[in-house]
Amino acid sequence: MTLAVLLPFVMAALCAWLARPLGRRTGYLAALAFVPALLLAAPLAGSSVEPGGTALSQNTPWVPELGLNLVFRGDGFSLLFAVLIGVIGTLASLYSVAYLSPRERFGRFYPYLLLFGGSMLGLVLSDNLIALFGFWEMTSVTSFLLIGLWHTRSEARDGAVKAFLISALGGLGLLAAVALLSMAGGSTLLSELDLEAVRASPLFVPALLLTLLAAFTKSAQLPFHLWLPTAMEAPTPVSAFLHSATMVKAGVVLVAKFGLIFGSSALWAGIIVPLGLATLFWGSWRALKQTDLKALLAYSTVSQLGLLMALYGLADAEGRFAATTHLLNHAAFKAALFFVVGIIDHETGTREVSQLSGLRRKLPITFVLAGLAALSMAGLPPLGGFISKELFYEAMLHAGPAFIAVAVLGSALTLAYSARLVAIFFGSYRAPVDDGGRSLKADVHEAGPGLLLPPALLAAGALLFGVWPQSTEWLTRRVGAALDFAGYGGHLYLWHGVTPALIATLITWALGAALVWQSARVYALQLRLELPISSNGGYRALLRGLGTFASALITRTQGLALPDQLRITLAAAGLMGGYAVWRAPQVFQPFGTLPPSVLPIAVLLVAGAMGVLLSRNRLTAVILTGLTGFGSAAAFLAMRAPDLALTQLLIEAVTVILFLLVFQYLPGIRDLPRRRSRYAVDVVLAGASGVGATLLILASLRFLAPPISPYYLENAYKGGGGKNVVNVILVDFRGFDTLGEIVVVAVVALAVGSLVRLGRRGRAPTETDTDRQSPNRTIPVRPINNQPSPTDQEVRR
Amino acid sequence: MPKRSRPTHPSRPAPPRPGDLLLHDPILRTISRAAFALVMLFALLLLWRGHNAPGGGFIAGLMTVCALILHRIANNQSALRLNPAKLVPWGLALSLTTGLVPYLLGLPFLKSDYGYVTTALTGEFEWATALFFDLGVYLVVVGAGLSLAYALIDVQPNERVEGDG
Repeated sequence: MTLAVLLPFVMAALCAWLARPLGRRTGYLAALAFVPALLLAAPLAGSSVEPGGTALSQNTPWVPELGLNLVFRGDGFSLLFAVLIGVIGTLASLYSVAYLSPRERFGRFYPYLLLFGGSMLGLVLSDNLIALFGFWEMTSVTSFLLIGLWHTRSEARDGAVKAFLISALGGLGLLAAVALLSMAGGSTLLSELDLEAVRASPLFVPALLLTLLAAFTKSAQLPFHLWLPTAMEAPTPVSAFLHSATMVKAGVVLVAKFGLIFGSSALWAGIIVPLGLATLFWGSWRALKQTDLKALLAYSTVSQLGLLMALYGLADAEGRFAATTHLLNHAAFKAALFFVVGIIDHETGTREVSQLSGLRRKLPITFVLAGLAALSMAGLPPLGGFISKELFYEAMLHAGPAFIAVAVLGSALTLAYSARLVAIFFGSYRAPVDDGGRSLKADVHEAGPGLLLPPALLAAGALLFGVWPQSTEWLTRRVGAALDFAGYGGHLYLWHGVTPALIATLITWALGAALVWQSARVYALQLRLELPISSNGGYRALLRGLGTFASALITRTQGLALPDQLRITLAAAGLMGGYAVWRAPQVFQPFGTLPPSVLPIAVLLVAGAMGVLLSRNRLTAVILTGLTGFGSAAAFLAMRAPDLALTQLLIEAVTVILFLLVFQYLPGIRDLPRRRSRYAVDVVLAGASGVGATLLILASLRFLAPPISPYYLENAYKGGGGKNVVNVILVDFRGFDTLGEIVVVAVVALAVGSLVRLGRRGRAPTETDTDRQSPNRTIPVRPINNQPSPTDQEVRR
Repeated sequence: MPKRSRPTHPSRPAPPRPGDLLLHDPILRTISRAAFALVMLFALLLLWRGHNAPGGGFIAGLMTVCALILHRIANNQSALRLNPAKLVPWGLALSLTTGLVPYLLGLPFLKSDYGYVTTALTGEFEWATALFFDLGVYLVVVGAGLSLAYALIDVQPNERVEGDG
């Protein structure tokens, strides 16, 4: 299992490396990464998921002190989901080889896809709550990258940002929920949580609500559904992978897994079921209105996720059984439909419903596949969707009359939009045309096997699930032990007698048929019922407001002159430090033994600092600042810390050089206006920060714990083989810190580089102005006879 | 802040100000020629001996940066034939690899090893894998420090941010 999760990450690096020579064939390499995930089918079929069996578990210690380990636990549900991810991931990789243009940036596409797949596998398999949160966030980040893959398009950027903002909001909720849960349950392992303690804890309700926030944002439930349709900006194979089978189901996974913890509370079902059904209705209502096939599928996903949520939210064995069955069906038909829409888009050049008709003549195989998948989505026999919809009705009938009414209405709408999707294959064929009336593709013909095989397999699955319900049931039963419905006695049949569920189905069909029959009127009605406010509008207004607020804040704080910023910083630091000293009175220690040679150095330091204040010339000021720096180096030397002294010396030298380099861009030293009244403030501030710093240093002289330096002195040579203890600490004992620090240095260099380049881009290019930093570039000389800018003037007076 | 402008005199050349780069300064050039090699050698020595005496990648890196800035200012060209920013990822990768190798061998991440070799030429000689880690640190510091300094050198005087001053 660990291999199944880690291999995609390794392969992502490999794909990035090999994408250039391999081109689109990288996809085959990417498909290999999912092989270990597919192999998890063996334990899934084996006895480890039977009620009595012990679940597979693999533990890789990471930071055991923090309870942070990579614990992967393969219970039936996790394994089933992992296999699902493996299947769809493999198919999406293979499909994309044929789908994507050869000019696509494969060095980005496949690594992102694999990173996403790996995080998703980690998410479903992880038993450790903290690692689970980590994988959760990684799915957010990687889906951001995938949605924004075609980042030159503004829709893609907006969609990516929207998806990320919303799911990151949920991610924060999950972090808090995970923290609360592990506090209340006494373990960071999901399987070892003390459920009694959690239920008794006052943290129960907050944890429940936060978990729901995470699940709803990720699974696009109302009112967070708005990111999913815009996320369709991603390439179609990605949509099939992310937004039909895996990513959005992360929330469903969370609800299913955590339902065992929270399900005992009435609040759980009380929130999820109505919201899920509302999402079901709203999603299918909106889906019916779409004219873009992919948008239609997106809203359809929203609605189907609502259905799954409602079922898992019921938190009884019947609901979980039904939900798991539908999960399988949905994965099969939705991924197949996305692939089919991809084919239509690829072959005809458009996804607009109004442009397409009579396609069954041109794309016969695609027609069959689309038909099977759409029938399953519509819930018609003899396909898998029908069976799981019956179970859904069954469960909703037990929940209450209002619930079943919404469920029937939503399903009728589902039937209607499925029909709308299939309708493009009927009628007489018209060549799709663009706005100017020209034909989009000269010759529309059936797609190649590379595009047809993945949806064919999935459509076959959808058919199999229907005509041979025992297969579905067998798969669903694998999950029984994990989701606590092993004792549930229900079975899957195509014909289960005349039951209330069947009657509800007949009503659904009647309603759906009416909707199809009167589709023109329904469409008109939908347009008339258009709400004046939409959640998208709310989202945009929120973003705008945030932007306005941020820029207002920036102009208030960052627009100040440097001395004012310094005043604010000093005052804030002083307040915080003062509060700390006031709250925790320190016992001040007498000075330790200092070598007498420090005294003259101290005088030198103070003199240097005072000199800076009094200097009227910047060069003098810098030299005097350097004096304090070099003085500190001398002090270190006097206290026998040559390493520190050397570092300080060099830092000081580099600082002085950098100072000199920026000199020419600074205004004159006394140019800033000074008001007399400010002097008093400055004196107080300077005095307070000086006193505060002294107090802080004095306070830190007291050891709060036994010093650890003897350990290093003792072990430096034994363990690291170095006589320079400081260096051994840096490269061995605390090498990880050093690694972090050089990463910081690297990031700073990157940031400065981009800032400089950014500043250059906004201006008209001059002859020395190239983006590339050639090593032989001349140092630009200040233009002599050029018009001095106002700032030049100011400096020179 | 209100802008205070004076009438401009386009014909008058701008007098040199403190901080203006000295180009083609013969004294600086001559000194830099000798100093550059010395400082570089010393930097490498610091890097080499860091394990047992004051020194190490960070300090050596800073010293190299100093030497290269001096060279660049004196000779108006970089001694480094490549964009210094390119050193940063290599340094990071080197340090990370040094850490990963023991990890893959089942030891703690970044665990260093050392030993002694005696050759006829050098006598007893200590080697330590920590040197590679330090070398990575060195490369990162040189790359980051230099690209920062070069960026400042390269900023054109007319590239001031509007609104300052």
